[in-house]
Amino acid sequence: MGGQVGALVATHLSDRRRSLLAWGVPLGLWSAFVVLIFPSVEGALSKAIKNYPPALKEAFGIGELANVEQYLQAEMLSLIVPLALGYLAVRAVASGLSGAAESGRLDVLLSAPVSRSRLAAASFAATAVELAIVLVLTVILTGLGSLVSGADLSLGSALAGYANVWPLALVFAGLGIVATGFSLRTSVVTGAVAGVLVTMYVIDLIGKLDPGLSGIRYASVFKYYGNAIEDGIEPIAFIGVTAAAIIFAAVGAWLFERRDLSA
Amino acid sequence: MRPAIETERLTKLYGNHRGIEDVTITVEAGEVFGFLGPNGAGKTTMIRTLLDLIHPTGGSARIFGLDSRRESVAIRARLGNLPGDFGYGREATGREAIGLLARLRGIQGQGRAESLAKRFRADLDRPLGQLSRGNRQKVGLILATFHEPELLILDEPTGGLDPLMQEEFLALVAEERERGCAVFLSSHDLDEVERVCDRVGIVRDARLIAVERMADLLGKARRRVTVELADSAGLSDLGALSGISDLEVRDGRATFKVAGELDPVIKALAEHHVTDIEAVHPTLEEVFLGYYREEGG
Repeated sequence: MGGQVGALVATHLSDRRRSLLAWGVPLGLWSAFVVLIFPSVEGALSKAIKNYPPALKEAFGIGELANVEQYLQAEMLSLIVPLALGYLAVRAVASGLSGAAESGRLDVLLSAPVSRSRLAAASFAATAVELAIVLVLTVILTGLGSLVSGADLSLGSALAGYANVWPLALVFAGLGIVATGFSLRTSVVTGAVAGVLVTMYVIDLIGKLDPGLSGIRYASVFKYYGNAIEDGIEPIAFIGVTAAAIIFAAVGAWLFERRDLSA
Repeated sequence: MRPAIETERLTKLYGNHRGIEDVTITVEAGEVFGFLGPNGAGKTTMIRTLLDLIHPTGGSARIFGLDSRRESVAIRARLGNLPGDFGYGREATGREAIGLLARLRGIQGQGRAESLAKRFRADLDRPLGQLSRGNRQKVGLILATFHEPELLILDEPTGGLDPLMQEEFLALVAEERERGCAVFLSSHDLDEVERVCDRVGIVRDARLIAVERMADLLGKARRRVTVELADSAGLSDLGALSGISDLEVRDGRATFKVAGELDPVIKALAEHHVTDIEAVHPTLEEVFLGYYREEGG
């Protein structure tokens, strides 16, 4: 069993090796650029931020921007990285299932003694590894940016901030498998889950902007995302969101097992 | 030994549309079974149902005596499948695909993939997206057969293959049969089916309308006879013989069809001076079309 999943994960990562670089390098360079320019914009930013409406600062997690970690949170980790990684997660998981169905590979794989659930599990596990590799690449390039600029970024804090994106993105991989239980068209799966991703982000944003609507944030996984680069990883939220992702993946695998795979 | 395939009133309905309906067949080990029908008749639905890619809405299918739904993983360990319109993505090479399938099957190495690649002159090292349809099909055939399965399910297996490779494929199927492998083959190429199948099932509008041994099917069919007599006056008398149909007489030559034995015709012709005679067995295509015309009313 482990051998089959291992073989499928290795193949998935080999197939998506270009994608790993295509996502990890630009995100890492962007993040490095943010760290690089921080020393030169530090003073001006602090003044500008003081004039921002408090609700806006709260909504986007913008603090005082007194250090590079706060700047990285505001520029990268509050919006760009979670949305980008959430989208990457659904793209990755879809490539292993609906993409395989479209290319004909699914029929070939299901000629072998491997269950659909195991295929779905392998696709989920491979996506988890792919996300981790992209995040590690991003942290490495960000750290290099700090070294070059002398921005004094705490590598531990950066690692916590980026690692905290991993379970969040994984939730959308799980939802991608659920969507595969209903459609084997990659455009439908990615479109539907990307829609959920943006909707959840907006729900969380609205809940933060209007205290009267804060209850709606429970409908969004972003409520449990937090600000790990400054506050550290919240273990319960990290484990809870990871567990939610696994539950979604398990439900998706159950649906995928039961559906017809039409030609 | 249990049959390789047994279906009992196997049915797959898509809402009001019938994929297959009440299909009952048995395919024995070491038998090559052809599944024939025009596009949309239900051939691919039958194959996908056997493979548990789609789930039946009625009836049952057992492969090696195992339930095709509940025990599909155990079944697939013992079969090889070539899907219609084989695809595996553009980037992977045949060797990578074989490597993955070998690991999924728990096979050390790549079985007989290398010798099959030599035999079919398949390029296993170029990305599949760079190969012609025929060359991709060769990789698909290797993927279906490299692990020496007990049952081969082949959906339009020779699509895109050149005539030499089609011959090689037919030889391989014959060898697989000798080995005791059962083969379930759907094909549009009736010449290929005629040459390699022991029995055929003919499907029309989702229903199985006939299952016949190939020899019986061709033997039952009407032969086409052409006769030339020195004295053409005797030709028109042939129409009076039983079993004769479609008689045409022109320029001292008669062409007609004969159902059953030729003996009455030979005896009738013996009274004349026969200058030429030719009796041609019908092709499977003619038999097949005949079935369709009869069944279609």
